[in-house]
Amino acid sequence: MPAIRPASKRKPPPDGFSDIEEDLLIFANKMKDAQNTPTDNVPKHQAQWPIFQIAHQRSRYVYELYYEKEAISRQLYEWLLKNGYADAMLIAKWKKQGYEKLCCLRCIQTKETNFNSTCVCRVPRAQLKEDQDVQCVNCGCRGCASTD
Amino acid sequence: MVKSTYQPSPAAAIPPLPPGWTEHKAPTGHTYYYNAETKQSTYKRPGAVPPPRPATPPIAAPVAAPVAAPFPVAVPPALSATVPIHPAMTGYPQPSIAPHLNLSDPNVANAFMAQFNQSQHQGQRGGFGAGGRGGALSRPRPQPVDKPRSKIAIPGCDPWILVYTKYGRRFVYNPVKNASYWRIPEKLMPAILELDKARIRQKAEGKTAAEDGSQSPTAETVAAADATPGTARAPEEQEQQPAQPTHDYDSSEYEEVEVTDDEGDNLDADVEGHARKRQRTEEPRADTGPAEFTEADIEAQLAAMSAEYGEDVEMGEGGWEEGDEGLPLSEEDARELFKDLLNDFNINPYSPWEKLLEEGKVFDDARYTVLPTTKARREVWEEWSKAKIQELKERRAREEKKDPRIPYMAFLQEKATPKLYWPEFRRKYRKEELMRDTKLTDKDREKWYREHINRLKLPQATLKSDLKKLLESVPLSALNHRTMVSHLPPQVLADIRYISLEPKIRDPFIEAYIQELGPPPEGGDAAQQEDEAARKAREERCRRQKALEERERAVAEEKRRQEKRMQYERARLREEEREIERAMHVGKKGLQTQLTGAMPAQTNSDKP
Repeated sequence: MPAIRPASKRKPPPDGFSDIEEDLLIFANKMKDAQNTPTDNVPKHQAQWPIFQIAHQRSRYVYELYYEKEAISRQLYEWLLKNGYADAMLIAKWKKQGYEKLCCLRCIQTKETNFNSTCVCRVPRAQLKEDQDVQCVNCGCRGCASTD
Repeated sequence: MVKSTYQPSPAAAIPPLPPGWTEHKAPTGHTYYYNAETKQSTYKRPGAVPPPRPATPPIAAPVAAPVAAPFPVAVPPALSATVPIHPAMTGYPQPSIAPHLNLSDPNVANAFMAQFNQSQHQGQRGGFGAGGRGGALSRPRPQPVDKPRSKIAIPGCDPWILVYTKYGRRFVYNPVKNASYWRIPEKLMPAILELDKARIRQKAEGKTAAEDGSQSPTAETVAAADATPGTARAPEEQEQQPAQPTHDYDSSEYEEVEVTDDEGDNLDADVEGHARKRQRTEEPRADTGPAEFTEADIEAQLAAMSAEYGEDVEMGEGGWEEGDEGLPLSEEDARELFKDLLNDFNINPYSPWEKLLEEGKVFDDARYTVLPTTKARREVWEEWSKAKIQELKERRAREEKKDPRIPYMAFLQEKATPKLYWPEFRRKYRKEELMRDTKLTDKDREKWYREHINRLKLPQATLKSDLKKLLESVPLSALNHRTMVSHLPPQVLADIRYISLEPKIRDPFIEAYIQELGPPPEGGDAAQQEDEAARKAREERCRRQKALEERERAVAEEKRRQEKRMQYERARLREEEREIERAMHVGKKGLQTQLTGAMPAQTNSDKP
């Protein structure tokens, strides 16, 4: 493992980072809080839901900044991905048709399920029964089909 | 509706007792009160206000006494809020009230008739008129508690403070004597009037400042925040303030009108006169019972108030809804207004939408509601942030790059001494923002520090000649005889030779050098075009603001008209009910009376 350099000797982040630094810091704090919350009374499968959600939100934030608002430069975007501010694999899926709102990668991992199917949150609202309230086991998603 | 702490003067009528309480006389002659249900007895008159009662007239039937007390025209607020006085509720037979009333007073007569009629109608028709409010009669009304919100020292009257409450009422408070008054004493009146004027003026100025789109962020937010609640309340307050000084101590109108629980509201014919004053009392009333009444409801109501009048119970059962706006604003204007809102609140265009919602700063603004749905808002927000970021980018590209070396050099000149080695220096100032700036590397900082320290040891003449060399290297377009010493070009400021000399010697030297320089080479100016664009944008914005105001006024007007019409309809309905009742009443003579009544009318209609 390479040595972690002190902040003063690190290469500075690309231009434009100062604009989004504050919001990223908010996400980082949220993530820390979520990680440090005790999960004693939480069902086991729900323990990581907040982590997934915050990771999703942060990735979405970076994705929108780069692809939709075109607010950040390519250098900064790549730097953010490299430094773990966003999930590159997840963003890669968002660029594909039908996966525009995908909640997490686990929910499309068909090999992990008994009948080689995706998660229930991938099912469009229209195909669910009336008033059926779903929340998926992996990340607590309530539905992320593109048609919703 | 609002609970008041104002105590009516003893001259006012004595409030009736809450239900369950009875008044008795002890053998010693003292009056005491007994509650049969809770088996409590007290000398103090129950029901918030303990007025001194020197002589109670002997009453034959003590049970009827509380109700028999002269019916107050204006029910003292605290009591009326807690106990809806209603004959149907107290359960006493009607005739027992009537004889004691002073029906010669028109006000009393009106109030009494209103209640009398209401109870009758309810008994016979299963509560027609009270539809949504049926529940409210049988249980105590929920009372939102008024709290002090802000205070202002009254200039000129030193210890006195003017306190504003949550519901926009105000009172004066003397912290020295620990006394507070709803009614403003005469001696404070001029000072408070001055204060009001100043505030209104400031509000007007703040608005114009916000419209100018001035760049100072704090001033703008303050102005915007100030204008937000102000837009809705300003006319109302302006109306009210001139009226206040005319109140003398005896007329209790100011208090009562604000806090009276309008029991006879539905039947009161002269609503128009009170319409303005009611709007404040009505806000929490739109809810039907204590079960649904929460803090959030109050907030929602208040938000609604900022846009328009509180809805009448019959009209807005579910309270105020999104998009319940009345007159439509043109789509384009609505979008632009929402963008103005985002601009005014200095929303960071880089921040995510969720942050905007979480902070909730913008919810209170009237402009937040011009778009009907959150989805639409989000769309506009996306559009706005995209445009805004683009604009920021362009502006940044236009303005010259700020050299990170300049502040560091200035810092060096100020702090560096030959007494400190670099590691010492770095440790001493490691908390400084400059020392942690990522734009500069530590290596560079160290290099410049050492160089600077070394140069400090050089003789003055060398330093001067170096500085002269530096100044000569700058082209004439950047440095000429119009340049000010405080605005030197960056290539000078960022140079180590510039900071080697002390400012005391350096500045006169540079000034002298600049004097000798020639004029700048010719160049065009694009500043005027920009001004033109800014002016156009400002005008556009003004127009939109006016459109919003116009629309709000129209909505209010429409509301008022509808209210009036409803009152009229209600009155007519009541009239008809009464007529039917009269017709249904068949006396001893049987049908004869009806026929004689109908016959002439019929013959009349037949004749022509």
